[in-house]
Amino acid sequence: MASFGRFLAKRVLQGLVVIFGVITVLFLLRYITPGSPVDFIAPLDASQATRERIADSLGLNEPLYVQYADYVVSLLQGDMGYSYRSGTAVRPRVFAKLPATLELAVVATFVAIAISIPLGVVSATRRHTVPDYVATLFSLLGISTPNFWLGVMLVVVLAVQFGFFPTSSRPVGLLDALGNLVVIAGPERGWALPLRVDPFLSDMQNWLLHIVLPAITLGTYFTALITRLTRSGMLDQLGRGYVRAARAKGLPETLVRYRHALRNTLIPVITVVGLQLGTLIGGAVITEAVFDWPGLGSLVIDAINNRDWPLIQGCLVVIGAGFVIVNIVVDALYAKLNPQVMD
Amino acid sequence: MERRKFLTLAGTAAGAAALAGCTGGDDTPTDTEGGGDTATDTATDEPTATERPEPETREGYLQRANLVLHEEAPWIFLNRQYSVYGKSTDVNWQARRDELIRAYDIEPAGSKSTVRITQSQMDSGLDPQDHRETPTDNIVRQAYEGLLSRDREGRVTNQLATGYERVEDGQVRFELRSGVSFHSGDSFTKEDAAFSINRIVQPDVGGLESPQSDQLAGVTGAEPADGDSAVIVNSDGLNPIVFALFATYGPIMNKSWVENNDSAYINSHMDGTGPFMLDSYEQDVEVVFESYDDYYLDAAPADALTIQSAAEASTRVNQLRNGETDVIVNVPPQNISQIQNSGNAEISAVPSTRIIYNAMIYNQEPFDSPEFRRAMNHAVDLESIVSDVLSGFAGQTGQPTLEGFVGYNEDVDPYPYDVEEAERLVEESGYAGAEITLHTPVGRYLKDLEIAQAVVGYIDELENVSAEVQQRDFGNLAGELLDGDLSTSPSFYLIGWGNATFDASQTLIPLLTSDGALTSYSNERVDELINQAQSMGGQN
Repeated sequence: MASFGRFLAKRVLQGLVVIFGVITVLFLLRYITPGSPVDFIAPLDASQATRERIADSLGLNEPLYVQYADYVVSLLQGDMGYSYRSGTAVRPRVFAKLPATLELAVVATFVAIAISIPLGVVSATRRHTVPDYVATLFSLLGISTPNFWLGVMLVVVLAVQFGFFPTSSRPVGLLDALGNLVVIAGPERGWALPLRVDPFLSDMQNWLLHIVLPAITLGTYFTALITRLTRSGMLDQLGRGYVRAARAKGLPETLVRYRHALRNTLIPVITVVGLQLGTLIGGAVITEAVFDWPGLGSLVIDAINNRDWPLIQGCLVVIGAGFVIVNIVVDALYAKLNPQVMD
Repeated sequence: MERRKFLTLAGTAAGAAALAGCTGGDDTPTDTEGGGDTATDTATDEPTATERPEPETREGYLQRANLVLHEEAPWIFLNRQYSVYGKSTDVNWQARRDELIRAYDIEPAGSKSTVRITQSQMDSGLDPQDHRETPTDNIVRQAYEGLLSRDREGRVTNQLATGYERVEDGQVRFELRSGVSFHSGDSFTKEDAAFSINRIVQPDVGGLESPQSDQLAGVTGAEPADGDSAVIVNSDGLNPIVFALFATYGPIMNKSWVENNDSAYINSHMDGTGPFMLDSYEQDVEVVFESYDDYYLDAAPADALTIQSAAEASTRVNQLRNGETDVIVNVPPQNISQIQNSGNAEISAVPSTRIIYNAMIYNQEPFDSPEFRRAMNHAVDLESIVSDVLSGFAGQTGQPTLEGFVGYNEDVDPYPYDVEEAERLVEESGYAGAEITLHTPVGRYLKDLEIAQAVVGYIDELENVSAEVQQRDFGNLAGELLDGDLSTSPSFYLIGWGNATFDASQTLIPLLTSDGALTSYSNERVDELINQAQSMGGQN
């Protein structure tokens, strides 16, 4: 137990070093990026005096190390600075976007799992048969289809052509939608299931309808990896001695496959899925842009288009921190499951 | 023959072009029907512009400057951008020339009563005097109005002023509308008008160093008039375009509301006089307005208005096709047919106030030769660029000033596509065999890279010139152009220029005079013509 605590502390320390590195690299990046932010804020015909005033008000005339120290110190105090474009505080804007991004990442992960684990199992258990080839082909297609193309195609066909789904945006968040569900199913309504209370339920429906297409788009990309991992893990497990023993004692094949082999296969799969979640938080930029999903990705694209560096840095620091946290949690879980890794 | 025609027209010019700017009322100061300073010939004919008699009006001087610039060809004159919108068939609305969407003009059809607009990005805060960008203007200008305004074509109209006149050089007077109230219920007064103007042009007024001070260039301050409901606006010397400036810029705010609230509040609330008042504001997501019941004109046709954004053009197009929004901005050429064929949406396109051009630095080889510069204009098949690269949604230009602007010269046509003439002129210039590189930003203007590639393709087809494109980061390119030193600029670059004042001077002065902020050219005759024009006020 003591060694687990030490292991965790070590991981957290390493994580802090990584986040500090992220902050530093981001800060340096803005100085090797060509073009002054002033040229993006000031119109082309702005006078030199206007430019100077803008540069001054943004603190761009201070030496680099002073700007860096200021930034790190204020970050430690929880202050992410002020947007160049609008002058508003960065932190509330970034955290306001976090729920949308998390929702999408989690739902997309569920989509990926729901598609890929059955596919992996099928192709492992029916190796070299038609279902195996179909599953392999499908996962190959999944990984080679660009996100933005799949997203646009889904919108054109399922939303515009057939009208099954809205094309884009997120008019209501999951928390609000759930909140409304709780309100109507709360004690004052006798905990009745709110199935027919339309004005409230429509929030939840609305949220679901809007998240389906982006979640499929984002999730598909990860199905290939998980399918392959499941397939090879499953094949590995099916060749093990305990499977032969289980079969020998007459256990039904279904039980052998799903109760025993699949369970053991899932340990590395869960690790990878956990790590993918971190990638999804930062990697949803294109999907968010295609679906106008108001998350960190959309915010960071807008910020980049405006060379709004404090906002870019704020978004990326949060994304980096999310990645580090997910990694620490996955490491900790894995260490619990398999204490050997703590050495 | 040409000369006689000119002389007869010159007589009428003074009368016809008597700029209504001096008297105001419902007149249209940007009226261009005069076209008096007629120089009907093209560059190759005689007499040349310099031999013609001097113009007599401000507009005449500007037109003459445009003629000289056409002949001297400091640019490859490319396309006038169009503003291309998509709109649902459920609303009646036509696009405006000045890139603004006025939701007051959008009429929902049938039982529909709300309107939704999707633009490419959201506002940078709701203070109407603390930004300089179209997306923010499109939001705040639904609630805030100026003293003057413009109609769809760009002609000056009254808004909070009911009349305007030039009192003397450096002083103009606006008569103010009575019975106007802000959304908060406060009455609109001459003190509000003066305060709003001063908050823009004077850094110590209203707790804001407004980035819009350049937009009201020359204006030094404003004061309430004695007695009447009017405001006096002072300029540093004669300000020939002061009415054009106030028709485009200078949103009016409520003095006491501004003074009683802090910047964060002013940036997230609104208190204007316009037809829509703020209902709710969610930064980066959407702004919701409701119709202002006490508006001094008819209430807006729509009861409610929502403005949202989607950065991706295809996302906006799909929203429109699926009926999720009513008006979308910036439809790229490749998506136009999708909308035209959708059955429930259509395109509304209008020439904008933005011109795309290739500057050729006048003192760098080989562009120091007017023959070479003219050759470049003849080498480019502008008509094909407009029809193929821009799907026909653009105009051809042959002078720096756009049609419909004060100072536009109606008798100047775009350079004809003529490869032989181009090659001959290159020989004549002595720069045969020149190798040139066109610097272009990517994604800053509609199809900028594609236009640059087409231009270079045409020039490269000449037997005696070779050309290539260099892609540039816009900020980096702009930095080189704006440092006030021509020798650090690339000698040949593509850039765009928007001029919302509908007056030639605001294109010519910054871009083509010796001291312009973004100039690539210097010519004594042009400087002189523009100085003449700018020394003449409303009355000619």
